[in-house]
Amino acid sequence: MALTYILLIALALIMLLPFIWMFSASLKLDKDVFRFPIAWIPQNPQWSNYQTIWTRIPFLTFFYNSLKLTAIITFLQVATSSFAAYAFAKLEFRGRNILFLAYIASIAVPWQVYMIPQFILMRELGLVDNHMSLILLQAFTAFGVFLLRQFFISVPNELLDAARIDGLSEYGIYFRIMLPMSKPALATLTIFSAVFVWNDFMGPLIYLHSESLKTIQLGLRMFIQQYSADYSLIMAASLVSVIPVAILFLAFQRYFVEGIGTSGIKG
Amino acid sequence: MKLGVKAAHPNTPSKRRKELRKNLIAYSFILPNLLGFAIFTLVPMVFSLGLALTSWDGANQVSWVGLQNFKDLLDDSTFRISLENTLWYVGGTVPLTMVCALGLAVLLNQPIRGRNLFRTIYFFPYVASLVAVAVVWNMLFFPSAGPVNEFLRALGVANPPRWSASVDWAMPTVIMASIWRNMGYYMIIYLAALQGIPSILYEAAAIDGANAWQKFRYVTVPMLTPATFFISIMLTITSFKVFDLILVMTNGGPGRATNVLVMHTYNTAFRQFKFGYSSAIAMVLFALVMIITIVQFTMERRWVEYSQL
Amino acid sequence: MNKWLNRRTANVCVALLVILAVSGGFISNRASAQDEITLTMSAWDVATTPYWQAVIDAYEAEHPNVTVELIDVPSADYQDTMNIRLSGGDDTDIITVKDIPGYSAMLTRGQIVPLNDLIEASGVDLSAYSGAAEELTYEGSIYALPFRSDIWILYYNKTIFDAAGLDYPTNDMTWGEFGALARELTSGSGADKIYGAHFHVWRSAVQLGTVQDGLNTIISDDYSFMAPMYDMVTAMQKDGIIMDYGELRAGNIHYSGPFENGQVAMLPMGSWFIGTLVAAQADGVFDFDWGVASYPHPEGVAAGTTAGTLTSLAINEESDNKDAAWDFVQFYTGEEGAKVLAGTGNLPALRTPEILEIFASKDGVPVEATDALQTTTVRLELPMHPNVGEVEQILNEEHELIMTDSLSVEEGLEETTSRISEVLQ
Repeated sequence: MALTYILLIALALIMLLPFIWMFSASLKLDKDVFRFPIAWIPQNPQWSNYQTIWTRIPFLTFFYNSLKLTAIITFLQVATSSFAAYAFAKLEFRGRNILFLAYIASIAVPWQVYMIPQFILMRELGLVDNHMSLILLQAFTAFGVFLLRQFFISVPNELLDAARIDGLSEYGIYFRIMLPMSKPALATLTIFSAVFVWNDFMGPLIYLHSESLKTIQLGLRMFIQQYSADYSLIMAASLVSVIPVAILFLAFQRYFVEGIGTSGIKG
Repeated sequence: MKLGVKAAHPNTPSKRRKELRKNLIAYSFILPNLLGFAIFTLVPMVFSLGLALTSWDGANQVSWVGLQNFKDLLDDSTFRISLENTLWYVGGTVPLTMVCALGLAVLLNQPIRGRNLFRTIYFFPYVASLVAVAVVWNMLFFPSAGPVNEFLRALGVANPPRWSASVDWAMPTVIMASIWRNMGYYMIIYLAALQGIPSILYEAAAIDGANAWQKFRYVTVPMLTPATFFISIMLTITSFKVFDLILVMTNGGPGRATNVLVMHTYNTAFRQFKFGYSSAIAMVLFALVMIITIVQFTMERRWVEYSQL
Repeated sequence: MNKWLNRRTANVCVALLVILAVSGGFISNRASAQDEITLTMSAWDVATTPYWQAVIDAYEAEHPNVTVELIDVPSADYQDTMNIRLSGGDDTDIITVKDIPGYSAMLTRGQIVPLNDLIEASGVDLSAYSGAAEELTYEGSIYALPFRSDIWILYYNKTIFDAAGLDYPTNDMTWGEFGALARELTSGSGADKIYGAHFHVWRSAVQLGTVQDGLNTIISDDYSFMAPMYDMVTAMQKDGIIMDYGELRAGNIHYSGPFENGQVAMLPMGSWFIGTLVAAQADGVFDFDWGVASYPHPEGVAAGTTAGTLTSLAINEESDNKDAAWDFVQFYTGEEGAKVLAGTGNLPALRTPEILEIFASKDGVPVEATDALQTTTVRLELPMHPNVGEVEQILNEEHELIMTDSLSVEEGLEETTSRISEVLQ
């Protein structure tokens, strides 16, 4: 057991080392960030960097926009994906395999390839420079469907059949049995979607023009300028931007801990 | 999943009506996602891939060139190099990330103190902004005075690698960064799947006198196969599509040492404005990924065990 | 055929516009008071670059019915983002042209409007830009007017020179003299090491010195002419006179760090760095004295020959306000705009003695600047060419290989020649 802890702590250090460096760099003057040998503890900590990031650019607005987009898109992704995944996992219907293959195939095409037609489409809809463009583009993912299908599929059919005999409709089964039994899976997708939207750079870069609509990742890049880059501010802003995701992650932990165990499953 | 589900042969009207009803219910589940997915992803995608048979500069008229773009690929040294680099990257990241992710998940599924904290820490690299990650990673692997090489020198390595500053070591550096960044992500999927294993199975195994390794081998591994299947497919696909990480870490360099297919696609489209040619590269990538995915799907029946207790 | 059609439609559009502008001249004068016009303009680093808004404020003060909105794009992603948006039919009125590859991409694809007829109608004097307008002319047409022009000069740390007991660089120094001086200035080791010179990772930092003589350009069918400069720089790197390229690249090290930390005696860099240094010194980031001199030149080339970059404004083909946009572009690139720009510590493309005076009299600008900024010939960093984007990518890749010692100078330049010949044929 002691060995396990030593291993865990050593690994944790490797995972954290970059963050320690980021923290240390965030307290330095810009010219000292890339100086060697690395001074892990800055001589003259610049705590004001953590103030500057809120005043130099409208970081608070960006923060709010990111939160808003993350919440809306994540909710829509989880809702529509779990709905579709139930059909792919547990219902038989015409064209199921072809359709599923089309979903998987779409994951295999790099997004960069179809950015322009998407942009043209959004322009035609008049949604450029509007959060709606990003919401529509990102709310319906093949990834979420695939992920949840894999989890749903391992819920025993007997359980569903029993519910059907009890007179529950497919919608009833989805809401009353599938969703409650798949909390770890839903939590997983929630975290993944949230992190994806939170960290998305290219989408906001192309679609959002107005200062009042921009997101946190665009804000981070504002510290990299044409002829200079404020890396100490980038590090400070990056660390601050990680906090909401860390909170979300900690909050969703309990779904991994509780799990479904043996509850309700009897062969 | 059975690849070819046989549609039932309806022969009586009532059966047919029942069949129709069943289909309609299923479609109603899929529709909300499918509608958005088809309009905003599928249609633009098909349009773009269709460009592979044309020549288009992104502004003027599109002209049909047939298979010319694919013929041109044969003489394109950057295409060849980026294809090799992509395969090298996929071969390096997929197995290692899977092993690391599974190891972490099993380790963190035990009843240990501070397990929530550890999980969060291991997931952290995935959350951090990519710009910051690239900067930090290059700092740690800085050739002359970075901590990694200082450590190697302390161990007696006289000439440690120059990592991302060298043609030979740039790709391994990127691969390590990718594993470091992604293993926490796939660990989550494994963790969620581990939660789905009924404890009754372990109890039964204990009664049969199984030791820890045997429980892992005969209960955990088979019960995780749906997750493993998902991870192997997703990891393969996303590794073939790697772009952002390399862009910020090495920008494809030194020279073309870490140039990958998506980067070549991006450059030909948005820097050289050969959208048709760029789509042709994407088509090759797509075909490659689909062949591997379909092979994975056909093999699925042999090793993936969907629990039917 | 397509191109011809496009250009023809573009020309018809412009002709129509001119007719509209001319015939509507007196009407619009009357109407201007009540017609509210909003123009959009693409830009980068808006939060940290004061001049964008400063010039707009000056314009809006004179034209109360016009509002100009800046669309801020991160500078590193500027051209890629604009390319994607323009391909998708974006209608931002005024497009800032950041570099020549971007300019080439937009004009060859008919996304920006040729300005010749407008220039003629408005009587703009292109010779005032001292050659810059010619550099932007492609097949007889000009699609953008420059407002900012930066040239390469030499920065030096006076404290290091004083400590070494050496004279400051002059405005007439050859690359050979520069190399010898750098060797003399190098001293110390470890954290106390002083490097005689610093070459930033950009390809241009090395390659500009090879085209100063005007015999070759950056787009060529034989790159062996670059060998002497590469030989010198790689030798300096091997001997520790300059910092290691691979490390600068891997460590993301910006040239301002080593210079402001006093680790570097001489730094060839663009004139934009003056403003950065002035601000950093005022903030107390460093406390040594620094000066500037003209860019070193090859043997047999006149002193004051340097290379430069232009930032210019173009009008979007999709714009609905082309005539209002043109009025704004004239203001920005003309004398009023230049004065505002110089007042914010940037070098305008339009340089009258009066405007240079505004620039040099800014607090903290070294006295040597007035002389160092005198130029005899300015060559564009990259010439205009339809394939310039692709060529530049190859140049960058091969530059990396030579500088990281993955290829010898000779091998690298041979590979450059063969790869670029393939693109150009």
